[in-house]
Amino acid sequence: MTILCVRFQLPPMYEAALPQLLGLLEEFTPVVEALPPDGALADLRGAERYFGRSAVELASVIRVRALALHGVDCVIGAGPGPMLARMALRDARPGVTCAVSEGTADEFLAGKPVAALPGVGPATARTLCEYGLDTLGRVATAPLSTLQRLVGAKTGRDLHEKAQGIDRGRVVPNGVSRSLATERPFTRDELDPDRHRRALLSAAEDLGARLRAVDKVCRTLTLTVRYADRSATTRSRTLGEPTAHSAALTRTAYGMYEALGLQRARVRSLALRVEGLVPAEQASHQLTFDPVDEKVRRIEEAADRARAKFGPRAVMPGSLAA
Amino acid sequence: MPGFTHLHTVSGFSLRYGASHPERLAERALERGMDALALTDRDTLAGTVRFAKACAKAGVRPLFGAELAVSAPEPGADRTETSVRRDRRRAPVRGGAFVDESAPRVTFLARDGARGWADLCRLVSAAHTAEGPPLLSWAANHADGLTVLLGPDSDVGRALAAGRPDRAVRLLAPWREVYGDALRLEAVWHGRKGTGPGSLRLAARTVGFAAEQGVRPVLSNAVRYADHGLGPVADVLDAARRLVPIDPAKELDSGEAWLKDAGAMRQVAERVVEAAGFRREAAHRLLEQTQETAAACLVDPDDDLGMGAVHFPEPHLVGAGRRTAQRALASRAAAGMVLRGYDRRRAYWERMHHELDIIAHHGFASYFLTVAQVVDDVRHMGIRVAARGSGAGSLVNHLLGIAHADPVEHGLLMERFLSKERVVLPDIDIDVESARRLEVYRAIIDRFGTERVATVAMPETYRVRHAIRDVGAALSMDPAEIDRVAKSFPHIRARDARAALEELPELKALAGEKERYGRLWELVEALDALPRGVAMHPCGVLLSDASLLSRTPVMPTSGEGFPMAQFDKDDVEDLGLLKLDVLGVRMQSAMAHAVAEVERATGERVDVDAVPDGDPATYRLIRSTETLGCFQIESPGQRDLVGRLQPATFHDLVVDISLFRPGPVAADMVRPFIEARHGRAPVRYPHPDLAEPLKGTYGVVVFHEQIIDIVDIMTGCGRGEADRVRRGLSDPESQGRIKVWFAQHAAANGYDAETIQRTWEIVEAFGSYGFCKAHAVAFAVPTYQSAWLKAHHPAAFYAGLLTHDPGMYPKRLLLADARRRGVPILPLDVNKSGAAHRIELVSESRGAKVWGLRLALSDVHGISEAEAARIAEGQPYASLLDFWERARPSRPLAGRLAQVGALDAFGANRRDLQLHLTELHRGARGGRGDQLPLAGGRRTAPAGLPDLTSAEKLSAELGVLSMDASRNLMDDHRTFLDELGVMPARRLRDARHGETVLVAGAKAATQTPPIRSGRRVIFSTLDDGTGLVDLAFFDDSHDACAHTVFHSWLLLVRGVVQRRGPRSLSVVGAAAWNLADLLEVRREEGLEGVAARLAEAPGTGAAPDDAEGPARRRLAGSDGRPAPAGSAARDPMEQRRIRLPTGYEMHPWADLRPAGEGPAVGRKLWHQSPGSAG
Repeated sequence: MTILCVRFQLPPMYEAALPQLLGLLEEFTPVVEALPPDGALADLRGAERYFGRSAVELASVIRVRALALHGVDCVIGAGPGPMLARMALRDARPGVTCAVSEGTADEFLAGKPVAALPGVGPATARTLCEYGLDTLGRVATAPLSTLQRLVGAKTGRDLHEKAQGIDRGRVVPNGVSRSLATERPFTRDELDPDRHRRALLSAAEDLGARLRAVDKVCRTLTLTVRYADRSATTRSRTLGEPTAHSAALTRTAYGMYEALGLQRARVRSLALRVEGLVPAEQASHQLTFDPVDEKVRRIEEAADRARAKFGPRAVMPGSLAA
Repeated sequence: MPGFTHLHTVSGFSLRYGASHPERLAERALERGMDALALTDRDTLAGTVRFAKACAKAGVRPLFGAELAVSAPEPGADRTETSVRRDRRRAPVRGGAFVDESAPRVTFLARDGARGWADLCRLVSAAHTAEGPPLLSWAANHADGLTVLLGPDSDVGRALAAGRPDRAVRLLAPWREVYGDALRLEAVWHGRKGTGPGSLRLAARTVGFAAEQGVRPVLSNAVRYADHGLGPVADVLDAARRLVPIDPAKELDSGEAWLKDAGAMRQVAERVVEAAGFRREAAHRLLEQTQETAAACLVDPDDDLGMGAVHFPEPHLVGAGRRTAQRALASRAAAGMVLRGYDRRRAYWERMHHELDIIAHHGFASYFLTVAQVVDDVRHMGIRVAARGSGAGSLVNHLLGIAHADPVEHGLLMERFLSKERVVLPDIDIDVESARRLEVYRAIIDRFGTERVATVAMPETYRVRHAIRDVGAALSMDPAEIDRVAKSFPHIRARDARAALEELPELKALAGEKERYGRLWELVEALDALPRGVAMHPCGVLLSDASLLSRTPVMPTSGEGFPMAQFDKDDVEDLGLLKLDVLGVRMQSAMAHAVAEVERATGERVDVDAVPDGDPATYRLIRSTETLGCFQIESPGQRDLVGRLQPATFHDLVVDISLFRPGPVAADMVRPFIEARHGRAPVRYPHPDLAEPLKGTYGVVVFHEQIIDIVDIMTGCGRGEADRVRRGLSDPESQGRIKVWFAQHAAANGYDAETIQRTWEIVEAFGSYGFCKAHAVAFAVPTYQSAWLKAHHPAAFYAGLLTHDPGMYPKRLLLADARRRGVPILPLDVNKSGAAHRIELVSESRGAKVWGLRLALSDVHGISEAEAARIAEGQPYASLLDFWERARPSRPLAGRLAQVGALDAFGANRRDLQLHLTELHRGARGGRGDQLPLAGGRRTAPAGLPDLTSAEKLSAELGVLSMDASRNLMDDHRTFLDELGVMPARRLRDARHGETVLVAGAKAATQTPPIRSGRRVIFSTLDDGTGLVDLAFFDDSHDACAHTVFHSWLLLVRGVVQRRGPRSLSVVGAAAWNLADLLEVRREEGLEGVAARLAEAPGTGAAPDDAEGPARRRLAGSDGRPAPAGSAARDPMEQRRIRLPTGYEMHPWADLRPAGEGPAVGRKLWHQSPGSAG
């Protein structure tokens, strides 16, 4: 019972607050793994001894501090490993920390639906449910070989162990928020490619500015197109080099959008997400003999300064001004 | 000042383009003082006949034309940059590609009478031979009798819009070559900006270009709708056609494309010529040119379209050889007399000669020979065929082999079918097996050739649900929301949408949020009855002489590629084309299948046509009212009527079928008949002379033939005239005249005033309502045959029914009926099931064989015919692997078969089988070997997966077969129903009249038929596994129940038992709950939760016989509406009652297909548990 899984109750689109909240956790232990957009795992093995309190008691302290310092409530699950802590989180409520101990793990898991298990995505869950293995209890009693036939050798073994409460996971400290996202909704079903591109441009500009503000660059850009029937298409592309340059992001976003070849699709919103954030100083940049690239980047710098001074709408691409 | 004629006008028949009906256009033309109007629909002439008739009524001269997409003269010439780019465009990952409307469009007007019309028909037909959307190839683009308008959408117009007069000159040349002087350039100004279509600059360029090139210009308004202000409707239609939402930021309809009067068009002309740089007076010339062009287009609807004339196939095609048709008919009829052994009976000869006289009088001999030829051909193909309709009353039809029943013996009259006094085309319908209907069509086409045969079109028009869907999509509404709103409506006309919201209790919730949808309702109502698609009429076939294609435009049907005339069945009659109705009757197919099954399984040949009448077991079955699946007598109302009438002979069946019609039910002919039949009331005749025609029906008038006889006997006017009189009865105006005439003639024949008065009352009340006895006799034959099969070969009968699904009930109900009647249901098994349902010997003890019903592979969801046939062919299979390799089912299909237990024979449980199948599938895909863990060689090894629970098995059956094959789904809820004290249907028979009971079950059929009192009654049938419960909800319970009844699959109903006869029983509902919800509550919250739910129940507590309740409450305003002021206030429902000509009232919302999704099938009946299979 040394691992906590914390979920901060952040309003959506407020993931920028996550780094500060992680800082709060780091006051207790250096071993904190961010689970963006709003969660984190913390290994309190050393902290228990240091603070002289049990993990569950520390959970209360964390909640009080989060409320006091940041005005953010949180839900906390505790368990011997990350998987069990996450599972415990599902049963927790604000103020009631759910703790699972080693001995009661399999009992605790037996009644849970398979989809609740971390690492079991919708596809695996569907497969398992098709074969009647809809609860973890049933998965635990199914023969290992059958499970492996169902979902593959490695996944099957993992699943089998996890369902029996054997948690081999560790908390791996990582950097703050690894992604940023922004969405551009439309008020009606929008088919016009010009307006789609305009929305992408504005989203990419926005993400670029946010990245540069925190001195980060991103490796991957993801485009999500949501349609009127509530379905969505997602496309992801790894950038040539990690960057926070708006023009590069826009180009990639346009490329992904063009590849969809949408004609009559009733688009209700376009969302962009940048992932794989790393500090800007670690990024490499291919220099070119073309002076334009250099100039554009310098203009962007100047524009960023202007925006910092006169507000975000001070400088923007001409096609967005209308 | 010259008038103005609109040369370019489209109606609603231009699918999803025109916004007004042709009748409306003709009316407006008259109102706006025009003396001629053209109809030039897109790609179709379907509106022509309605337009011609409306014009004749309005006194406006009709011009006929069409607007067609035309391909460029030489291939490749229009491959500009844009079209190359279009070809390269990648396929969209979602939402599909844009609808391609890039082909240029040109308007063609028929000019030279019949020749022009024939040319027009040819061009339209030619345009439809193209792949994809209709497109007229340049090779077919030539005609002598047509005038061509090149407007803004033509290739020339587009070149002008693009500012390329040089290109326009080049494009104009081929047009001039072909059409020469008949070419016109069409200028249109819709007040748009820029140089695109409808802009002033393009109109001016067109006029200038015309002057330069020496082509005559005309002015048009490219009319899309009759009245000003219909622009938004045109936008919705555009959106529906292009399958995109309306984009207000883009160019919308200008709102100017309406039928403007001459003055407005004159102003348009002035602006256009001024902009073209001419003097204002030139406008006069432009208008004159337009008028001249219109004047040259002379096509007379009567002479040139052939309206009112009759065209039969040439006699030599129907076996007349070189003789005249009449002589051939006479000799065939005489041969028939000898063949059927009537040749020694004088009455038959006289009747035959009398009928031949009438036929000769009209010159219809070819018609009879044609029908006889078709029937002969069908019979040769081994397809069951039977004539229906009034044609069965003709002895000649019987002699030619068209009709089975002997009309003399059954007292059927020729005059009901055809007489010298009537000048309409006679109508013979033939019934064939539904499964082989298309074969029959092909045979007819082969016999007469495609130049003489075409099927008939059936326009699908907007009704409320489709209108909501299309408008909602155009307005960018949420698809789920659109679906919900559309489904909450019954199937009513679109124009009644708002009225229905106001008045129907089941729409009350929706009416509350009406405002949220803004313009939706207005637009929905504007779409009312506009055609939105065209389909092949399910039974009409046109037969004509070789000139058919020059009188009718023909297009191929989408599926089978049959030639289909663009006219619908009414138009066809007006055009004098002979239509033969070939109806596919599923019951005929079902019976054919049943007979074939009996022969296959037992070797016994059953000939249902030769079954003797009066079989006691059959009538015992009918009288027991367990007639589910029997032709014509399976509906709840019919079962009730059969229970009261207790038929014992074939004649009783004929009467029963005749009585169960809206008319007789509304006129309450049923009660006196039943009373008299059971001797509870004396049989009365108005006069002893009338005893002869009336004695068969205890003095009650049931048949048309009886009315004809009564009028004939009383007045001595002859039967032909009597039939005319009978037809006149339904019209209140002529009724008055007939009354006087009847009284005079009857008095002259020596009848006293009182008799005349009493007879007239009967004639007046029932005359227009009776049923044609010839119809009833034709119907009663399959009724008796199907009941006979049900009584003697039940398993085969159900096999036929389930295979061809003829009835009004879902299949699962037929299965429940079979189970109740002791037919064992054998589960699906890939080693035993055939593609169709089969019978199988289950047990045999002391000579008594019990036949079971083996379910069919074809009922498995998503199975293709080829797959079913392949599985059936490869039987038997030794193992799962064997099955997989030889039957080669698709993976999902194999999974479904495993779920419902069709693979149980291969060992292991159903989930293990699924796993093996998945691996086989993977193995097949990966090209690896066929390693399959088998235990003992044949059996499939278990994999340790949990088997399906019994509930999951049932759920799988419902999902895969849409039937609860292993047991009734209500059995699982029995404990809860017992807790509630629900009475099973079986025990309901012992319930007292007036007892309040709870019943529950799966909803099978819901109707709101018209009934006499003019109230709206919801009839529904529940199946609870032990039997059927017929429910009736009267309108005082609708506020509380209607929504639940229409939108739930499982129902719990509180009601009062009504008994009307020993076998007639129904429950009058007072309160209804959705049983599925209650089951959920029971599972989650226990009985207390159920109690809480029932406490807030919809039950109003109103006694069901308090019929005045809701009306009074509405008036008093206690249902939330403000109390109407003054005593003059009336119930809004009251005013909307439909008053039938004879004084009976009908509720405005009766006789509609009700809201919701029809009877429940498949999964909807079962809760979705997360662990269910599949």
